[in-house]
Amino acid sequence: MTDLDYLKMSKWARLAHSFVGFFASIPSKCRDGFKKLGLWFVRLFRSIADNLVDLVDTFVKGDWKTRLSYLVMGFGSFARGQWGRGLLFFLFQTVFNLYMVNFGVAYLGKLNTLGTLETYREGRRTIYGDNSFFILLYGVLTLFFVLAFIYTWRANIRQNKVSQQILDSGKKLKSTKDDLKSLADEQFHKTLLALPTLGVLVFTVLPIIFMILVAFTNFDATHQPPSKLFTWVGWDNFRQLLSSDSASYGDTFKQVLFWTLLWAFFATFLNYFLGMMVAIMINKKGIKLKKMWRTILVMTIAIPQFVSLLYVSKMFAQDGLINTYLMKWGWIASPIPFWTDAGWARFTIILINLWIGIPYLMLIATGILMNIPADLYESARIDGANAFQMYRKITLPYMLFVTGPYLLTSFTGNINNFNVIFLLTGGKPLSLELSGNAGYTDLLITWLYKMTVNDTNYKLAAVMGILVFVVTAVINLLVYNLIPSVKNEEDFQ
Amino acid sequence: MKKLVALLLAAMLLMSCAAFASAEGGFSGEVKIWVAENTVEFTQQAVEDFKAANPQYAGMTVKVEPVGEGDAASKMITDVEGGADIFGFAQDQLARLVAAGALLEVEEMNAIQVSLENDAGAVGAVTMGETMYAYPMTSDNGYFLYYDKEIVKDPSTLEAVLADCEAAGKSFYMEINSGWYQTAFFFGAGCTLTYDSDDSGALVKCNTDYASENGVKALKAMINVAKSPAFVNGSSVSNATNAAAVVSGTWDAGAAQELFGENYAACKLPTVDGFQLGGFGGFKMLGVKPQTDDAKIEACDALASYLTSGDVQLARFNAVGWGPSNLTAQQNEAVQANVALAALADQLQYCMPQGQYPGEYWSLATGLGDDILADKYDELDDAALLEVLNTFQTTAISYVN
Repeated sequence: MTDLDYLKMSKWARLAHSFVGFFASIPSKCRDGFKKLGLWFVRLFRSIADNLVDLVDTFVKGDWKTRLSYLVMGFGSFARGQWGRGLLFFLFQTVFNLYMVNFGVAYLGKLNTLGTLETYREGRRTIYGDNSFFILLYGVLTLFFVLAFIYTWRANIRQNKVSQQILDSGKKLKSTKDDLKSLADEQFHKTLLALPTLGVLVFTVLPIIFMILVAFTNFDATHQPPSKLFTWVGWDNFRQLLSSDSASYGDTFKQVLFWTLLWAFFATFLNYFLGMMVAIMINKKGIKLKKMWRTILVMTIAIPQFVSLLYVSKMFAQDGLINTYLMKWGWIASPIPFWTDAGWARFTIILINLWIGIPYLMLIATGILMNIPADLYESARIDGANAFQMYRKITLPYMLFVTGPYLLTSFTGNINNFNVIFLLTGGKPLSLELSGNAGYTDLLITWLYKMTVNDTNYKLAAVMGILVFVVTAVINLLVYNLIPSVKNEEDFQ
Repeated sequence: MKKLVALLLAAMLLMSCAAFASAEGGFSGEVKIWVAENTVEFTQQAVEDFKAANPQYAGMTVKVEPVGEGDAASKMITDVEGGADIFGFAQDQLARLVAAGALLEVEEMNAIQVSLENDAGAVGAVTMGETMYAYPMTSDNGYFLYYDKEIVKDPSTLEAVLADCEAAGKSFYMEINSGWYQTAFFFGAGCTLTYDSDDSGALVKCNTDYASENGVKALKAMINVAKSPAFVNGSSVSNATNAAAVVSGTWDAGAAQELFGENYAACKLPTVDGFQLGGFGGFKMLGVKPQTDDAKIEACDALASYLTSGDVQLARFNAVGWGPSNLTAQQNEAVQANVALAALADQLQYCMPQGQYPGEYWSLATGLGDDILADKYDELDDAALLEVLNTFQTTAISYVN
């Protein structure tokens, strides 16, 4: 298809075209992905081989200082007068050795079974055995440490090689003073990033890896450290969550996933369009008391959701304010099952979410609407466009362009919108047709919460966490390629 | 790492304490107790009395912290080492705690004493298999009917209660989507649902006949009750609006008295469709967590045993109104004169002592209740209802592994 063909199509046809294009490109993209992965592995192995060759080479060509550095890290640097580097290398090695001897080896050795020594009683005294939780956590930490050690050891060897080359060429080596100076100058990025990187590794990457690994264990209510052991079970948990035989959660999972996506869609787009509409209405010339309207709407933001949502959930109860008054006025004969009927509960949640979501959108939209050049509207008016045409051709494209990324993040945010669901219904109503304590208004994330807190079912919760990531990642990638801010970057510049 | 170091330090500290304590034959370390918020003050006083009566424990530091019975079990299971040494919980949590290894079995002599002094239901409730895992503290976790005697003239049948409520435009509250209140119908109609457990806390067998004629009778009664315009699903008296009758337990006695004022009354549950509503007789208990130090075990055993003894149970009743499980304390005049406790005692004869249930049972029952509330079964005939109960029963049995 030529560009001309594409430009001839209507807006919707273009959207459909890129939609189809995206899915059509999945197989080739996958193929590319696999190819890249394969190449990456090839490069990895090649670089490992290169490194090994270089290690041998350095050893053969190196002097005795270099050779001794293979055993005692930092020795070469020390012997060549770079005592600062030498000290750091040596310290690192000492800490590593001490750690490995005292803890590391024990944890690493048990990592394949996650502990075999059971907790037992001696008389009435409890003798705790292996703690699978710590074995897994410190085992992973130790693996990290080992990788870091290998990397540092390699750096230490390379250091020797480079130093030798510099000395051979007759130049002088950097002194410790120079090193320290460079840390505040050309190496300043390392100084700044050292602490954050370490923090990210320990507090973000390590827990994520730990959680992913838990998905492959039987860590649940009956395998609770320190009294009980847990161990590896492979893909069993994934099977239990996804397959649909009677003991599994497959059907429930589908149901919950369906509602999660439905909810995210409505919560995002209804709020978006209605919020924009409210903003347009308030912005309109001739509307009086603009500030008052805005203040009234913003009040809902000022009250903590904790308070307002719990209160509103009571209001909609069978014996709550709404039902009582509707019945008193004779509008309904029996209470509306706002929270007991699955359909009603879902509808009510979306409705109440509008009430707390519209003010935010109104604020955002107000700012953007004021930014749209007035001459666009003026020329449109001269051309005889009506209000709806102006909205469709000027306001909406502009809004979508600016807020496209916001829409995407708010969609993702709504998939994980714990507060609204949990405070309003807690996932209820439950049903015999659903399993695993899930209800009709449960999102994946609230179901995950119930699994961890109520049922101590960490293994399935971990699987769910992984699946939530997969769902959001797929949707994000898909939508990201479709939003105008990415596709037509120059439109409004 | 930090945790490990802290652990090592704590272990060393404990060992030194143990060495010091065993020399004296007492214990002088720290003991942490978790009890419900409204009994913290009472428990602190009781601990002081205990120390005064047992000089060998005078040096012991006891920290009493408010942790609700609902939360205590979850918190203990998440972190046994950081949890309290002695903690109060409701019995629906026992199976979970034992399965997670968060309870130390009751010392043999204490166990004998407990089984002699407390009512049979309470003793059954703290026992799994042949092993006793906790000390019964109350025998008042049951439910019965609070009502406004001005409006509800005849609390003997549910049909009459509902008719009175409807006529007055008032509501009847019962939380039929709770696995706890739901048994009033099923057990009342003659069904059973119990689980057998072994000593390690694992459930080994499910005994149930919900999928039967009686089960259908109970389910139909629930569906009919839910159809009444006066019916509201709920059990908290203080959250009830416009209530004339509420099915709840002794903890709501104060709130009910306030709500109904002069017309406050309580009695056993009514009959429905000709059968008497039954239910669970429930219990609160104190547990001791597994310990690594013999002297501390002894101290915890003695303290837990003291805190659940007859005299303390009676004192607790006088302080916060918790009904005792101790047989002697139950005969006390003040206990017998309490309106709510009298109603409960009357109801308990139709109840089954609550044994051990898997955590999943409660959400399964909520599922059944929610389906009733969502009117899913309104149009079903007996055969279809039996099918529903069959699903329920199969699922309930599947929790046994």
